[in-house]
Amino acid sequence: MKRNSVMGIGATASLALILAACSGSDGGDSGGGDNEDVTLGFFTDKAAWESSFDAMNEVSGEHGMTLDFTGYSDQTAFDSFVKQSFRTDSVPDLFTWHTGGELADLVDEGLVAETTDLWAEAEENGLVPDGLIDNYTYDGKQYCVPLNVAYWPVYYNIELFEQYDLDVPETWDELMQVADVLVENGEVPFHQMNMIFEFVWFQAMLAGNSPEVYEGLQTGDASYTDPEVVEVMEQWKQMIDDGYFIDPGVTTDPQALLANGDVAMAYFGTFFTGQLTDVGAEAGEDYGVFTMPNMNPEVENRQMILETSPLCVGAGSENEEAALEYSAWWMTNEAQNTWSADRGDVSFNPNVDVADPTLSALVDEVNSEESGFTIQQRYLEATPVPIYSVASEIFGEFVTNAPDPMPGLERLQAEAEDYWAGQE
Amino acid sequence: MADRIRKAILIVLGLLWLMPVYLIIANAAKTDDEYGSTSAWKPAGISGLMDNIANAWDRGGLGEGVASTGLYSIVAPVIAVLIGAGVGFAIVALKLRRGFLWFVLIFSATVFPLQMILMPLFIGYVEFGLYDSRVGMILVYTVISVPFAAFVMRNFFTGVAHQVFEAAVVDGASTWRIFWRIYLPMSTSALVAIFILQATLIWNDLLLGLTLTQSSETRPVMTALAALQSTYGGSTMPTVLAGGLLVSLPTVVLFLLAQRAFTRGLSLGQF
Amino acid sequence: MTAPAVQNNPRDTYRWSSRAFVLPGLLIVAVMLYLPFVWTSYLSFTEYDGLGDPELVGLDKYQAMFTDAGFLVSLRNTLLWVLGTLVFPVGIGLLVAVLADGIKGSFWYRLPFLLPYAISGVAVGVIWTFILQTGGALDEALTFLNVPGDRPRWLLDAPLNTFVMIIASTWQAAGVNALLFGIGLQSIPKEPIEAARMDGASGWTLFRTMTWPMLAPLTTVVVGLSIVGSLKQFDIIWAMTQGGPGTSSETLALTMYKETFVNNDYGLGAAVAVFLTVVTVAASIMYLRRQLSDKKEI
Repeated sequence: MKRNSVMGIGATASLALILAACSGSDGGDSGGGDNEDVTLGFFTDKAAWESSFDAMNEVSGEHGMTLDFTGYSDQTAFDSFVKQSFRTDSVPDLFTWHTGGELADLVDEGLVAETTDLWAEAEENGLVPDGLIDNYTYDGKQYCVPLNVAYWPVYYNIELFEQYDLDVPETWDELMQVADVLVENGEVPFHQMNMIFEFVWFQAMLAGNSPEVYEGLQTGDASYTDPEVVEVMEQWKQMIDDGYFIDPGVTTDPQALLANGDVAMAYFGTFFTGQLTDVGAEAGEDYGVFTMPNMNPEVENRQMILETSPLCVGAGSENEEAALEYSAWWMTNEAQNTWSADRGDVSFNPNVDVADPTLSALVDEVNSEESGFTIQQRYLEATPVPIYSVASEIFGEFVTNAPDPMPGLERLQAEAEDYWAGQE
Repeated sequence: MADRIRKAILIVLGLLWLMPVYLIIANAAKTDDEYGSTSAWKPAGISGLMDNIANAWDRGGLGEGVASTGLYSIVAPVIAVLIGAGVGFAIVALKLRRGFLWFVLIFSATVFPLQMILMPLFIGYVEFGLYDSRVGMILVYTVISVPFAAFVMRNFFTGVAHQVFEAAVVDGASTWRIFWRIYLPMSTSALVAIFILQATLIWNDLLLGLTLTQSSETRPVMTALAALQSTYGGSTMPTVLAGGLLVSLPTVVLFLLAQRAFTRGLSLGQF
Repeated sequence: MTAPAVQNNPRDTYRWSSRAFVLPGLLIVAVMLYLPFVWTSYLSFTEYDGLGDPELVGLDKYQAMFTDAGFLVSLRNTLLWVLGTLVFPVGIGLLVAVLADGIKGSFWYRLPFLLPYAISGVAVGVIWTFILQTGGALDEALTFLNVPGDRPRWLLDAPLNTFVMIIASTWQAAGVNALLFGIGLQSIPKEPIEAARMDGASGWTLFRTMTWPMLAPLTTVVVGLSIVGSLKQFDIIWAMTQGGPGTSSETLALTMYKETFVNNDYGLGAAVAVFLTVVTVAASIMYLRRQLSDKKEI
């Protein structure tokens, strides 16, 4: 009997299709032509930015370097993919990552290429602002280069502000008065979310209430049960109870909510500008931005949260040298002008002018000497991963139901103590 | 009379079921402005639909993934259905020794949450050169479809009288021939049903596509669609919905086309 | 090798060919599903953050899992999902199949229930969030219908959020169950039913005494798959609440995913995965054994 053929049931039945499949996957590598040209494997969790990377390729192609883009939309899938890829021989040439503890983990394992020389050169040429380097420094050496930066201001709906004759608030009290007026008129002052960005109001208020404690939490020198933190949580609870925030059950896109006036203000990173542009909102016309005032008027310097994501080179990757060269190029005026123009977003490079007048004014304000801003890291990156994961749970619950903050803070502090004890 | 009541209940329930579908279509057809300013239930014409679809197609680069996804969702379920039918045939008709045990073993493989096997699969794929290849994708999709196919086919074959098998043996047919010429043809309805369900599952897969491929030649379409809806600078809701609608069309059409196959298969299935 | 004589026990006659038929399925499942699982089980005894090498820590991770308060919430929600799935997607699937069975154009009556299955997960997640969000389509509809009272916060209040997500999954899955039940109903021989009808049985009695027992093979399939499916339900929850607010709508599948990929505690995630797998296998074997016991020798 034809028993032998039984093994090949599947193969026989769809042999033709499989052959078709095989022949389809051979056109992978298109380095082609000039042997000086190099194609760098590039992986990112910012899948929505593919077109901007295409625009960058147009320019970098003239230097013989282009990126082969692979975008992930699921950040957790992306993170674990990158980590696991170091176990294999397909180490990514270039990839985007997160500053803070996540980058420290990679550095500890020796997985990312050092960029100390690139930073020295960039600082010398004035391509990066002061202080940015701290985000990329581990044990005195630098790793990765900044892919982008985002400042965290408050976006507001101009029409609503005009309707109720409101001025852009400059102090915390003024901000609260604006909110009161809006609430009295049946409007919703602020946007907030119970996932992904559940931590942002905590960050804004604590940095403005006590920058020392905000920084201390990042190093274990301050406690989540310190009075400065408790004040923030109580103020936050009061604001939620007073109806200052939109119900987090509303999951409509924040850009739509702000553009339609469903919320009057939204505290977001400057990447939010692109999202507002997408829904047809115009800067200066439909919306404006102001910097978040300090909750505690005694705090001398104004505080600005800066978020930055790194562009990293995999240590031992196939095109490591070329990838480092690309990283150096990324910080140049040419590259950053292209990037800023295509994304309509701010650049870390101080020589780049942002086309958007609102953002341009914001950047000038933050960078000017007399305004005296202190730059702070975003809470998400500044907090060790195990502490952050508990914090996101607690803040998510807090945003939703505004319970008594103490049990949550105590749990958070217990987790933090656990973590810092393990670091000794 | 009774039929009329049954139809009435089905229509009411069916309409209820179609409401979310209506919401998807109505809102996918709105411009961003209209979406923000009108009630979810109110249609706003279809002026925005084509724009949104075009926008999703371009921004998401959906075109690239369609061909490979199509290939995966046809080839993998076909192989899986045949392998699954083979398993069912061996256990039921050929009375495989310890058949129940083997069956439970294969079926239990469905219990592993897919997320847990992603990383080992990824490492294994890179190791054996299957990473980022169409063959590798067909293989993995086949594997995840086999337990379901085996489960349904085993149960389907239990409904077939064993005399059918014995009669064929008396006629001098080989086991291979009995499988191919008798058992497979009479289970068309089940085979088609499994094929369609698994093809849909594969078409809609996101996790495996994300993990095991990287180049645009091999990446399935859902990875592109998901990219439209991400935190940093994703697209607006009408565009995401239009994209979701667009990539759902092939599977909807598949269900419609299958209608005849279902009916034909069902009438043959009555042994 | 080949069948020597027909009078032999068929089991011996087809020993080799039956093995050949079962081998391809067994082989790929073992290599591509069981092997990775073995790796995961190993990880559950280690401390591992995804980088470097795992370090053996014995049963620490299991201890951590059972003493975690969030674990109990996950367990409760997972149980809710199993029960809810048996009542809604299976129940409604059966109802639709029985109602549509034998009427003219039954495919078309079943179609509305099948359509959601064809719609991509991304769109399903988006549309249900959209329906259930505060002031969303459902709230609007209730207001339009003049339903009095405060609107609950569908996706924020536990355990209501789990319940509404089960409804969302019912929307997606009921049609498939109806389809499978439909196949089962079609394959039931018509003569005994007709005979019973002649004897005066009808409606519920007819269904209970005749149709239901004969539908057993397909019921086994549907219920078996539903139990397994509900135990590892992930997509809808991830798309709609990500297990939140807090951990109030987390299930074991989500806990496992979050511990592994979000918190980078691969060991703990693997421990939850092993626990989930043991529960699922136990549930399915108990269930299958009972359902299939009469055919066990096969």
